[in-house]
Amino acid sequence: MVEETTVREPKILIFACRWCGLIGADGAGKKRMSLPANFRIIPVECAAFVETDAIIRALASGSDGVIVMGCHVGGCRFNDANHAAIKRLELFQVLLEATAIGKERLLISFGTAHEGHQFSDVIQNYTTVLRELPPIDPWISTLSVRR
Amino acid sequence: MTDVRVYLCRCFSEVDRTVDLERIQERLLQNASVASSTIVDSLCLDSDIQRVAAEIKESGAERVVIAACSTMGRGDSVIEGLAEEGVDRFAIHLIDIREGCAWIHQDEPEGATFKAWNLIDMGVSLVAKKDRSDDVTIRVRPEVLIIGAGPAGLAAAVMVAKLGYTVHCLDRAAHPGGMLRFISRSYPNDEDAVLKLAPYLDEIHNNARIAFYPQARVETVTGFAGNFTVRFSSGGQERWIRPGAIIIATGAMVYLPHGLYRYGETQNIITQMELERRLQSESDSIQNAVFVQCVGARIPERPYCSTICCPASIKNAMRIVEKNPDARVSIVHRDIMMPGSILEDYYRRAMLQGVQFVRYRDDMLPAIKGYEQVRAVEVHDSITGTTRVLDADLVVLSTPLVPNPDNRYLADMLGLQCDRYGFFREIYPLHPLETRMEGIFICGSARWPVSSDQAIVQGEAAAMKVISLLGKGEVAASSFSRVPGQKFGHATVNPDRCTGCGNCVAVCPFDACTLQEIEEKYTYISRVNKMRCKACGNCVAVCLNGAMQVPEHNYRAVVEMIKRAF
Amino acid sequence: MNSKRHNDTSALIVGGGVAGIVAALDLAETGRDVYLVEQGACLGGQVARLDKLYPTDHCAFCPLWTDIKKVQRHPKITVYCRSTVQAIAKEEGGYRALIGEKPNSIDEGLCVFCGRCREACPEDAVRPVGEHVYPPSYLIDPDTCTRCEDCITVCPTGAIDLDRSAVEISLLISEVIWATGFGEVDLSPLPEFGVGSHPDIMTSLEFEEWTAEAGLNRGKIVQKSTGEVPRAIAFIQCAGARDMRMLPYCSSVCCMHAIKQAQWVKRRNPEIACYIFYTDLRTVGRDYYEYSLRELRDSPIMLVRGRPGLIHPLPSTDAIAVKYENTETQKREIARFDMVVLNGNLRPSAVRTADGGHSIPSCSKEGFVDVKTDKISRFACGFTLEPADVAESSIQASSVAARVSIERKVKNRTHD
Repeated sequence: MVEETTVREPKILIFACRWCGLIGADGAGKKRMSLPANFRIIPVECAAFVETDAIIRALASGSDGVIVMGCHVGGCRFNDANHAAIKRLELFQVLLEATAIGKERLLISFGTAHEGHQFSDVIQNYTTVLRELPPIDPWISTLSVRR
Repeated sequence: MTDVRVYLCRCFSEVDRTVDLERIQERLLQNASVASSTIVDSLCLDSDIQRVAAEIKESGAERVVIAACSTMGRGDSVIEGLAEEGVDRFAIHLIDIREGCAWIHQDEPEGATFKAWNLIDMGVSLVAKKDRSDDVTIRVRPEVLIIGAGPAGLAAAVMVAKLGYTVHCLDRAAHPGGMLRFISRSYPNDEDAVLKLAPYLDEIHNNARIAFYPQARVETVTGFAGNFTVRFSSGGQERWIRPGAIIIATGAMVYLPHGLYRYGETQNIITQMELERRLQSESDSIQNAVFVQCVGARIPERPYCSTICCPASIKNAMRIVEKNPDARVSIVHRDIMMPGSILEDYYRRAMLQGVQFVRYRDDMLPAIKGYEQVRAVEVHDSITGTTRVLDADLVVLSTPLVPNPDNRYLADMLGLQCDRYGFFREIYPLHPLETRMEGIFICGSARWPVSSDQAIVQGEAAAMKVISLLGKGEVAASSFSRVPGQKFGHATVNPDRCTGCGNCVAVCPFDACTLQEIEEKYTYISRVNKMRCKACGNCVAVCLNGAMQVPEHNYRAVVEMIKRAF
Repeated sequence: MNSKRHNDTSALIVGGGVAGIVAALDLAETGRDVYLVEQGACLGGQVARLDKLYPTDHCAFCPLWTDIKKVQRHPKITVYCRSTVQAIAKEEGGYRALIGEKPNSIDEGLCVFCGRCREACPEDAVRPVGEHVYPPSYLIDPDTCTRCEDCITVCPTGAIDLDRSAVEISLLISEVIWATGFGEVDLSPLPEFGVGSHPDIMTSLEFEEWTAEAGLNRGKIVQKSTGEVPRAIAFIQCAGARDMRMLPYCSSVCCMHAIKQAQWVKRRNPEIACYIFYTDLRTVGRDYYEYSLRELRDSPIMLVRGRPGLIHPLPSTDAIAVKYENTETQKREIARFDMVVLNGNLRPSAVRTADGGHSIPSCSKEGFVDVKTDKISRFACGFTLEPADVAESSIQASSVAARVSIERKVKNRTHD
C-alpha cells in the first residue's frame, strides 16, 4: 500500500459491465466530474459474470458496499444474460438481509448509470447510504467459499 | 513469477498533474511480479506504438500492463496498434487511470494516487494470473438451408445462388411460391403475382445451385454457425444436409375470423384472401363492397398491426372500381396505415378514384345487416358523429397475418425465441434479420407481417448476411464476438470438479453448454461449444463447484484483485 | 488543393447513418473495398443524435457505436467524415467520384482529448466532435475561430493546424449507394404552427435534443422560456407532412417518435399532461402498436384525432394556445400548453451534385432518389429512398448491398 493513506470511508467496489456501466464511468471522466476517490471498478464483459462469492469476498476484504452495474433489462448484448444475473443478485440481496449483513451492502444498478451524471449520482447517493450503516460484522468472512 | 512490464502514461501531464506516478513507480519496484516500469509521455501516437512494441518484444516480458486512458478514449487504439505490431493481445492489460481516476479526482490528489496504485496493482495481479482460452477454427460450409419458398425464401435462394453458393430450399407445400400464389395482384404497383413469381420460379428450377424440396419438414438441427447438420424429410424421403447457415422464411397464415362479423354464418362475408381468389378469376363484377379493417387485429388478444391489410384493401378496392366504374366501395377503418411516400400516394389515388373511407372507433364496432345474405354494414362514423348504413352485397374482412404454429417448434429446435404472438425475434435495432443464434437468419412474414415486395427485399438482405458468413471460408471461435474485435475468451470446464449438475446448461443464453455422459464414471460432465460461447460469464456465476471458469478472468485473479482493491 | 488519388474498383457509399453503416459492413465483410462518405463530423447520422429508440427504449447511440467501431476498424472500409460528393463522372471501368473533405483543424488521429485547446480558446470555438463519439476528439468551428493560435500553443501533440485546407479526393469506383438519410424542413411558411413565435414551440428533433439524457438538461423536462417543468405538452403530428402545401407524403416515423417522446416524458414526470394530435396513428412495425398502448405510471397519454388549426402564444402568459377540432367528438377547443412539439417535417437529403448539368442522383419531385431513371441512381436505401425507420433502413441497406454484389459478379464475369 502507498503510505498510510486511508481511503475516505466508505469503500465501494464496483463490478461494471463494459457497456452501460463503463460508458457512464467514462462519461463522468470525460466531463471531469468531481467524485470521491472511495470506489474501484473491476470491469467485466457482462454483469452476469459477477459471482455472489466475489461479492462476499469484497465485503469481507474491506469494502463497505458493492455495486453491480449492468445494462438495462432488454439491453444486454449477450442474449439477455443479465436477466439471470438480476434474478440471482436480487435473491442474493434477500440472503444478505436474512444474514443481517443487510441488503444495502449490494446495490444493483442495471441501466441507471449510463450517462456521466447518472454514474456520478449513483456513487454519491450510495456513499451517503453506506455512511449511515454500522460497520460489517467480521463473521462475514466465514461465508466465503474456499476454492 | 510472471514478468510483467508496466507502462505508466502521463498523457502529457493530464494524469500526473493529479496522480503522482513516481510514487507509484517506487512501489511497483517492490512488487515481485513487476519486471520493470516506465513512465511515458504518451502511448497512443504512432511513433509511440512502434517504439513500445519493439521494447516489449525485445524485453521478452510475458505480460504488459498499460496504465493510461480508458478503452473508450485512446486505450483501445493502443492495444490494437500494439497487436498490429506483433505483440500478443492476450498479454496486454489496460488500466484506466485517466478518465477513471485522474480526471474525476482532481480535488483529491492523495486519494487519486492511492486509487491509481490500487488499480495498477489489481491489473498486475489479473494479468499475472490470467490463462489463455483455447481457440478453434472451423471451415464454413458453403451451403445454405432456406426454410420456406415464399417470396422471401425465393428471393434469398436466388440471391445466394447467384452469388455463388449452394442452396437447399424447403417448403412444406408441393410447389414453391408461398402465399403469393393465391394473390391476384400485389401492391403498390399492381403487378400480376404470377408474373412476379415467374423469374424466381424459373431460377429455382433451372439454377443448378438450387435444390428445391417440396412437402418438406425439418426433423432435427444440430451444430453451430458454419457447420449445421440438418435432417429433414421431403415427400416421405429422409435426407440430411450440412449447411453453413440457415434462413427461416416460413411466412405466416391468414387469420380466419370465425365468430366475428357473422363470418361463416352469413353469405358474401369473406376474407381478403378469398377476395383475391375471386379477383384472380376475373369473372365477377361487384357492385357494393364494404371492407372492414382491423378484424381480429389491434385488439387485446392480438395487439399488433398487420402492416398489409390497409394497402391490400385499397388495392382491391381500386381493382373493383376499375372493373366496374359504377361500383360503390367503402373502407371502414380505425386508422389508415399507409406510412411513407409510396403508400400515402396510393391512398390519395384511391380517394380520388372514389373509394370511400369511413372511420370507426374501437369501442363502437360496425355491425352486419342481413341474415342469409349480407345486406349492409352499419357503422358509427366517428368523424361526422352519425351512424351510417352502407349498402353491401359483399363484405370483405381484413384480418391479420398470424404466425405459423410451427414457428415455436422450429424455434425450440434451433434455440431461437419467438415473441408472444409467435413471430421470430430479432436483434434490435441494427440487425433486424439476425437472431440470438449465430448463423440463423429470419426474413419475411415469419419475422413480422410484410408485403411481398418487402418480403423480397428482406430475402435479399438475409442472403447478404449469409454471404458475409460463408464468404469467410474459415472462422475462428474468437471472431464470433458480440463486441467489435475479438472475443474475450471461452468458458472452460475443469473436468475434475464438474459434477454434471446442469446449471450452466440451463442458464447459458447461447445454448453453448451441453452435458456429456461419461459412462465409466456414471456421471455427466459439461461441455462448452466454443463457437457458441461468448464468455458472458453466466455459467461461471452459477457453477456450484467452481468448475466453470473463463480463463482470462478466472477466480484466482478475481480474488487477488479484490484483495488489492483498497 | 491537395489531392489524394486512389485507383481501386470499389463501392462508394454516400451517407454514414444507419443505412450507410449497415451497407458498408455488409459489403466489406464480403471482401469489397468500400468508401464511406459522411457529411457530418462523425458517423451515426440522425439516429445517433436521438436520445432513445422505439420500441425498445434503448439509448440511441449504444446499439450504434459497436457497429460504428467495426466500421472504423475495418481494413476494407475507408471513412471520410466532413466530406461531400462533389461530382461523379463516367469513366473507363466505372465512375470517377470527386469527394471534398472539409478540414478539421484538429487532427483527430493526434487529439488525446485533454481539452486544453478548449480552455485556452477565448471565442469558445472548440467543441467535442460529439457526445458519444469514440475515440473522443475536439473540432474547431471555422466560423467562430479568430486564429489567435492560443490553442496551438497549449496542444501537447501538435494536433492543431489552422491552415489545414480542404482536400479533394478522387476515387475510381464501380458502384454508388445513396444513403443520405433525412433532414428537417423549415415550417415557418406554414403560419398555423407559429414557428418562431414562442421559444417553446419546437420540432421533435429539437425537443429530443433539449430533453436528452446526454444533453444540456440531463434528461430533465423543462420549458425553454421559463426553465420550469411544463404542465402540459402538445405533440402535433403531420406538421408539414401529408400536406399538399409542403410535403405530400407521410414521414412514417413520426407517430412512433411522438409516442416514444410522450412516454419518456411520462416516465420522468408523470404529472405532465401529454396530448398527441394525430390524423392516423401509424404504428406499423414490429411491436409498435403494443408500445403505443403502454400506459406508464397509470397516467395515460391523451390521443386526439385532429390537426390543430392555430398554435399561438397566449398573451400575458408564458403558455401557448392550441386551437383544434377533435374530429371524433366534433368539438372545437382551445387548449393551453406550455410546450408544443411539431412532428413531421422530415425530408430526404439527397445529394445534389453536378454531372454535366444534371443533378445526381435523380430524384423525384419530393426529393427521394428515383432508382429507375439512370445507372448512377440505381442503388439507394433508407429515408433517402422512401421514409423508413431504423429496422427498415437496415434491411434495405443489406438488400442493396446484395444487389451491388451481384452487379460486381456480373461485371467480373464479363471481364473474364
